[in-house]
Amino acid sequence: MAIVAKVWIDEDCITCDACQDICPEVFEVTDDSSQILAAVRTDGVFDRNVGGSPLVGTLGAELGDIIIEAAEACPVEVIKFELVSDGADEAVAEAAPAVVEAAAPSAVAAVPAAGASEALTAVLSGDRDLNILFGSQTGNAAGLAEKTAKMAANYGLNAKVVDMDGFDLASLATMKRVMIITSTWGEGEMPDNADVLWNAISANGPGLNGVHYSVCAIGDSSYDEFCKAGHDWDGKLGSLGGSEAYPIQECDVDFEPPWKTWVTEALPRLACVDDSGTLQVDLLEEMMAYGAGDDDDVVEGDFTPGSVLRDEISVTLEIFRYCPQAAESGWDTLTCAVPGHATLEDVLLTMQRDVDGSLAFRRGSGAGTPTTGVRANGRIVLADAATVGDLTSDGGRLRIEPLPGHPVVRDLVVDTSRYESHRSRAEPWIRTDPREGERLPSGLAMGTMDASSATALHQAGDVLSFQLIQAMSDTLPHDPHYEGPGVHFQQWLRALDPRTSEKQRRQIMASLQEKDGIWSEADHASLMRYGEDGRLAARSLNEARGALLNQNRYAGKSGRLVKWYGRSVKWSGNVNETTLYRQVLGPLGLVSNVFSGVSARMALAFTRNGGPPMRGLQGLLVPPAGLGRIPKMFNGKVDDYHEVVSLFNEIDQRF
Amino acid sequence: MAKIAYYPGNVARAGAAEVEDCIQPLCKALNIELVELPRASSDGGNVIKQATPKLQDALVARNLALAEAKGLDVMTTCASSHGIMCNTADDMKRDPVYASALNNLIARTSGVEYTGETQSRHLLHYLVEEIGLDAVRDAVKNPLKMKIAAYYGPDMQRDGACSGDDPFMPTYMEQLIEALGGTPVEYDSKCASVGSTSMLTLEDASLAMTAAVLSDAIESGAELVVSACTVSHINLDSYQSKAGRASGKHTAVPVCHLSEVVAFALGYYPDRLAQLRTRVRLIGS
Repeated sequence: MAIVAKVWIDEDCITCDACQDICPEVFEVTDDSSQILAAVRTDGVFDRNVGGSPLVGTLGAELGDIIIEAAEACPVEVIKFELVSDGADEAVAEAAPAVVEAAAPSAVAAVPAAGASEALTAVLSGDRDLNILFGSQTGNAAGLAEKTAKMAANYGLNAKVVDMDGFDLASLATMKRVMIITSTWGEGEMPDNADVLWNAISANGPGLNGVHYSVCAIGDSSYDEFCKAGHDWDGKLGSLGGSEAYPIQECDVDFEPPWKTWVTEALPRLACVDDSGTLQVDLLEEMMAYGAGDDDDVVEGDFTPGSVLRDEISVTLEIFRYCPQAAESGWDTLTCAVPGHATLEDVLLTMQRDVDGSLAFRRGSGAGTPTTGVRANGRIVLADAATVGDLTSDGGRLRIEPLPGHPVVRDLVVDTSRYESHRSRAEPWIRTDPREGERLPSGLAMGTMDASSATALHQAGDVLSFQLIQAMSDTLPHDPHYEGPGVHFQQWLRALDPRTSEKQRRQIMASLQEKDGIWSEADHASLMRYGEDGRLAARSLNEARGALLNQNRYAGKSGRLVKWYGRSVKWSGNVNETTLYRQVLGPLGLVSNVFSGVSARMALAFTRNGGPPMRGLQGLLVPPAGLGRIPKMFNGKVDDYHEVVSLFNEIDQRF
Repeated sequence: MAKIAYYPGNVARAGAAEVEDCIQPLCKALNIELVELPRASSDGGNVIKQATPKLQDALVARNLALAEAKGLDVMTTCASSHGIMCNTADDMKRDPVYASALNNLIARTSGVEYTGETQSRHLLHYLVEEIGLDAVRDAVKNPLKMKIAAYYGPDMQRDGACSGDDPFMPTYMEQLIEALGGTPVEYDSKCASVGSTSMLTLEDASLAMTAAVLSDAIESGAELVVSACTVSHINLDSYQSKAGRASGKHTAVPVCHLSEVVAFALGYYPDRLAQLRTRVRLIGS
């Protein structure tokens, strides 16, 4: 929380009313300029406050964040303010700083401040563990959990962020402080990673006497079952004997502000739980002051990684627009100057604020949020991570489109429900076998995995977002039934996971082999285009195809294509297209090509440009190893082709 | 005279004979000496890779090594073959242990080794960067004088395979078309896949993808589509009427390979150019 000491208005105010709309307690816009209200100033004068009269009382603290928001929203940046600081640092914060300097998270220091009461000292010197469990479908809850953990350090807590998937339920009863952050999926369902834990606690939950908890529930108020998963957890922990340290906080689509409220209130309360598991309510005020601490020590929740500052560049911005009501689409184009280090989200926010408030796009948490995918200058990127300077140069063009492969809802917002429903049907989450090894209190086996397998598995699936992988396919927009590479990639990773049960592995392989499965991708080259993530996905999907070929003994058209392609190369060093058409399509397929005109076009393709009439026919029809007077170029063997045969024999003798 | 090894790809000496007919004279006109690699084999076409990636990489490494033995880079007219060679070269560069295993194999079977010195060059990149657009422009005898849409495909449009061109908003072919006296036409789908490797196994999707590219080019005003990929050329040309019927889109447009239009503009096969002009103006596809 920022505390503003004084605020004033520079010259050249354009009287746009933005500041008054945001903070009417401080700003009033007259015909000439925005003014600072007399009631909030120590000098009691109504003007622009160029003399810098301080704000009265605690107003600077109460309205500090809103004043800064108003300053950042000012299109001509004439609102200036000064923050309360410890020393003589009189730096003036300019409006709209695009980049936050790197803020290193301070180490957890459960060291009582000088002057702290004995009771606070006692609490801070005891067990300070805090467990933050997250149930996350798209990564939002996981991101908030990470931020919460960083802020917990301010209260001397040793926070540990825990994925609900694989969490040991029995250990819950031994914990003194628990925070739960969970989203709600579909019509009031748990996120995928929370399903198993929820079923276990519902079936046989341990007594939670002595466990202090608070729940942050993320949802979408346009659904009937708003934040249901969070309420389910809140009710369940209470019914098992847990003590609610702070009431459940509901968060809508714009989840950051309510989360901030929750974390500011819930953390100090949980921090007041002492070694014996008792909530020391009397210490709350002191704990809050301790958590607020010196500005230098406080870790803010909206932790932003450092950025390299870059010069401002001039770009021609082209943003795709789609209005579903009018069913009209088009492009907004304007030329503007943007800092090279600004993210696409920064640019879109500025456009939304200053040019067109109806521009729709998905916002992220500022550190590569998986749901912020867009296509920018052809590349598939996350809007809150990709910077303008990485995508274009001074004088260049920046074309921002919705993520391909998904229907567009409005402007840059796409509907990912098809992907989600395919994923839901594919069930790529883990189901373990009963086996030797560690067991959960519920009796389920955790399965085991050695460190090298874990590393390999992590490397195989180390991509920014599976939704982005899904969008990389050029096939997906043309095949409404194809499940897509993002879904298949997750399934294959699950099949590689040594903890996966044999039954689930068989189901995955059968699912991948199905009609709309992994063979429905027409070209992995379209994935390979998109950097390391695309390359990783294409490689994995190719491996999956190899495994299926082995398992199914080269059955089906795809299997026959691979088998006969390999054989024809082994026979002569060249590909024999005639063999491929005959073996893969079969007689019916060849007849179909004759009647559909494909064969005729193949034979005539060359002739249509005036080539020798027989050339096209020869290319189409000649059998292997040229017969009669067919030119040598058709289906001849390469020189020393026995070397090719040797390679086949050395590496793969199946052909 | 520029000298470079030549790899025709999988179909230029079979179903796409027009490429082979045109590449030789165009290189002669531009003072490029093509050095044959008679021992070079198929690169596996990203098909063999599905069964055994190592086998495809070994075939490609052997081809690259044959060019390296002659101290030359290798040029191809096929975007797909170029992409495959770049992939294998990348993989070998990233993983020296894998590179060593492949080199052991090809040394044992073929007596050659690939150190990474030889690079694959696509005809398009070679003409723009090595020969130069001015030299091409000077050699033009029959300006194309048509509205031409360039088709790049996805195989060579990625970092590391498209030389100095932009992978996502390429302009090299448009620059070349201008130099050849044609008028380039911009359209969105120029790098989209037409599912060339899957036409035999996944016909419905491949036809839809082919139709999308062709209709996009036509709607943008193209009279002719020029393909940088020999394999995709087959989809765009031979399957275009089938794709049009399957999708209900307008797909009728002449499609040529890059090597054809360059050879035509440089004065070779004037009768074929005349016939192409007739198709463009009168027949349409």
